[in-house]
Amino acid sequence: MKWQRKDILAIEDMSVEEIRHILHTAKVMKEILMRPIKKLPTLKGKSVVNLFYEASTRTRTSFEMAAKVLGADTTSIAVAQSSVSKGESLYDTAKTIQAMRADVVILRHPSSGSAKFLADILDPAVINAGDGQHAHPTQALLDIFTMQEHLGELEGKNVVIVGDVLHSRVARSNAWCLQKMGVNVTLAGPPTLVPAEMEGLGVNMTHDLDSALPGADIVMALRLQLERQKSGLFPSLREYSHLYGLTTERLKKTGKQSIVLHPGPMNRGVEISDDVANGVDALIERQVTNGVAIRMALIYLLIGGSGNVVA
Amino acid sequence: MEGTIKSKILDPDGIRRAVTRIAHEIVEKNKGTDKLVLVGIRRRGVPLAERIQQYIEEFEGVKVPLGILDITLYRDDLSTIDIHPVVHETDIPVSIEGKAVILIDDVLYTGRTARAALDATMDIGRPERIQLAVLVDRGHRELPIRADFVGKNLPTSRREIVAVRLKEVDGDEDVLLLERDDDINKS
Amino acid sequence: MWWLKDVMVIDPSQNISAPRDVLIKDKMVLEISASLTEEDVLVKAQGESVETVNGKGKYLFPGLIDVHTHLREPGQEDKEDILSGSRAAVRGGFTTILAMANTQPPIDNRALVEFVRRQGERAGYAHVLPIGTVTKGMQGSELVEMADMKAGGAAAFSDDGKNIQNAEMMRLALEYAKLTGFPIISHCEDKDLAGDGQMRRGVASGRMGLRGIPASAESVIVARDLILAEETGGKLHLAHISTADSVEMIRKAKARGVNVTAEVNPHHLIFTDEEIGITDTVLKVNPPLGSEEDREALIEGLRDGTIDMIATDHAPHTQAEKARPFAEAPFGIASLETALSAVWNYLVLPGRLSLDRVIEAWSWAPAQRFGLTGGTLKPGAIADIVLFDPDFSEVIDSTNLVSKARNTPFLGKNMAGFPVMVWVEGKLVQRDRVVK
Repeated sequence: MKWQRKDILAIEDMSVEEIRHILHTAKVMKEILMRPIKKLPTLKGKSVVNLFYEASTRTRTSFEMAAKVLGADTTSIAVAQSSVSKGESLYDTAKTIQAMRADVVILRHPSSGSAKFLADILDPAVINAGDGQHAHPTQALLDIFTMQEHLGELEGKNVVIVGDVLHSRVARSNAWCLQKMGVNVTLAGPPTLVPAEMEGLGVNMTHDLDSALPGADIVMALRLQLERQKSGLFPSLREYSHLYGLTTERLKKTGKQSIVLHPGPMNRGVEISDDVANGVDALIERQVTNGVAIRMALIYLLIGGSGNVVA
Repeated sequence: MEGTIKSKILDPDGIRRAVTRIAHEIVEKNKGTDKLVLVGIRRRGVPLAERIQQYIEEFEGVKVPLGILDITLYRDDLSTIDIHPVVHETDIPVSIEGKAVILIDDVLYTGRTARAALDATMDIGRPERIQLAVLVDRGHRELPIRADFVGKNLPTSRREIVAVRLKEVDGDEDVLLLERDDDINKS
Repeated sequence: MWWLKDVMVIDPSQNISAPRDVLIKDKMVLEISASLTEEDVLVKAQGESVETVNGKGKYLFPGLIDVHTHLREPGQEDKEDILSGSRAAVRGGFTTILAMANTQPPIDNRALVEFVRRQGERAGYAHVLPIGTVTKGMQGSELVEMADMKAGGAAAFSDDGKNIQNAEMMRLALEYAKLTGFPIISHCEDKDLAGDGQMRRGVASGRMGLRGIPASAESVIVARDLILAEETGGKLHLAHISTADSVEMIRKAKARGVNVTAEVNPHHLIFTDEEIGITDTVLKVNPPLGSEEDREALIEGLRDGTIDMIATDHAPHTQAEKARPFAEAPFGIASLETALSAVWNYLVLPGRLSLDRVIEAWSWAPAQRFGLTGGTLKPGAIADIVLFDPDFSEVIDSTNLVSKARNTPFLGKNMAGFPVMVWVEGKLVQRDRVVK
């Protein structure tokens, strides 16, 4: 296919063909990551700027490594959360980056829509590394990539996403991505965290996890932000864990050898029991590699050729 | 093909003879098949490599390991072409450490593809030696690179196009010399 | 003297909706007749020169009265000031505007009331009437000197965005304001339910991951204030009603005889939350845009009189403030210059509202509720008048807006139907969209 996209902002507006093309490219990138010499000359002289308004060592490092393997130079701008409101606005920062002649900007920001906001201003490509509660497309793509490695073609498979769906960009992006790949998605969690307005994602919703588990090929637990309890969204970790925590016993209800995924970091003993978490740990190493491969694929697709050249 | 056919350089028999000769020369120059690893450069280097593997097996009785190399990510002209080239997998099933790697391609022209293939190969491992086999060498090198095994030396002008067609890829089987059409109607 | 010939006069105060000739003299409406001859006019001019306007194909109605504008002066003159805001008003067909109290500092004493009034007079465009706060510093704990502020020229009381959360304080305000005869304007927002929401809570907010404000954030305060108004017999005005539930509760309260009026903003009659894109901060407004069901209920409420008036809630902001990610941009739409045209295009032309009802709700109704002059073309009334040309078209852009703000969803749009002549006290202040 001919790649035409300038930015990676959300899965919602991507075509299935684009998603498959990204996954195909990531497969090639993963082979390169397995080599003894993980360095390509592909993007020599290109510059990738990591602009992170939220701390996330994992995601930032993954993007950095992806850029470096492809031969690009990387710069990280970490903006302390406290200075967001009083300091330079995102608009001003964007103008500065523009002047630095970056080729790709990776943005992590606490406000939903900030990635599109930045992309609308900037000539360089923008990759959304998480914007507020809106989207985290690279996480969804790496999740899908990992699922495909385990299950092959995903069409017709069943995925349950359990937890704080309301506040989760990972859940939103995964719901879009999985649906586009023909997966049956069910969101599960208490009514306060899986409220009626999530119907807009077009997937199944339930407040009874146990009824959603039979037949599930994959169960994805979301990280529970412990401060939600203080906001009154659920009464206690004990009750949450009792109703929605993934345990070995509960997972038997799927009736299959289901895969458990977690975007991390995990609250052991809350959304996921220790023994289930150990199984997930085994996958984490693979997820990290897949994350770098997906991000290499995206950076390559965005700036690997010069799509802007007009003959 | 964006040009007018001027002449047919090789027919199917001609290709067969040339590739067979290359297969013999590879074995001869490397004093056997012990260290050989054949690596086809996508796309038309791949069926050529497969054929060489088959010929060697026919007269030596040994199946030499075969790999596929995609050099897209090593090209030095990425930022000057206006589409994003689709990358394909590189698949070399054996270690090339200390081996004699034979890179195989259809046409040797500027040498840039061979340069990219050398870089890609050396990122995968450290072979004892690397040699280059091509079906056609048409001259006009831009880099200090030469082929070790050549099916056909063909002096050309830059206005000409050498089209290698192989039945596995193109359905047809021949090597043609074409004259580039005038680009009057192209921007 | 002005002789406006053969113009379609819309004056709900006199139930006129017909072609008429209108004379303006000595700051007043002199006469409205079916037709006048040149001799009649010359006699009435008593030697004064006569300017004649052929009004065929155009509408003439009382100058609009906007009971909800934010003019930002004092304190935030980078967004707007009383001069630029009152120029924007007359450009949009408004001859009287009420200036909301949430300035910096808030208008919570007579000196500030008099300052705003004086600035309005100095500007010399629309009549600018200050709304005072209900509580000192809008802190919700101590009432302002309402009687003194009335004497200084205030027109109503409101803590606006800092809606009075304490029900007892609201009850006291409704009681005490009886001394002035002015309504308490309620902003109708429960702080806890609204939380740090950015748009109406619904499928659209859920999809985009923007924090939601439930419809109940408005409706519970509407319910509370209606009950308090009923119990105290106080005079209540509900600002920018945006939910179907609110409309229904107001309808029932009015049937019980509660002394309440309500306003609706044009944007709530035109847009819904489904139209908001994740970077469309221009549609970020409080109360937030609601559902299609809400929009229909608001139109119906305005038609049947449950909702008494239209008000713009003109909320100017700088471009820099709106050029931020959605959650960081301020709420508000600047609308004085486009509101009438928007209502004309989106509601009157498609037949959802009659022009008569629009003019009634935007002039006569607010004049009566807030005890203001204007809102009528009765002979002897002050000549605050608008001539509206349904065929005058204009591209809304930075070069022609006279407000300091550009935060209108109509920016860049080509619209037809605008006020082309506006008189304040008989003086022509705007002609062909150019403010004098």
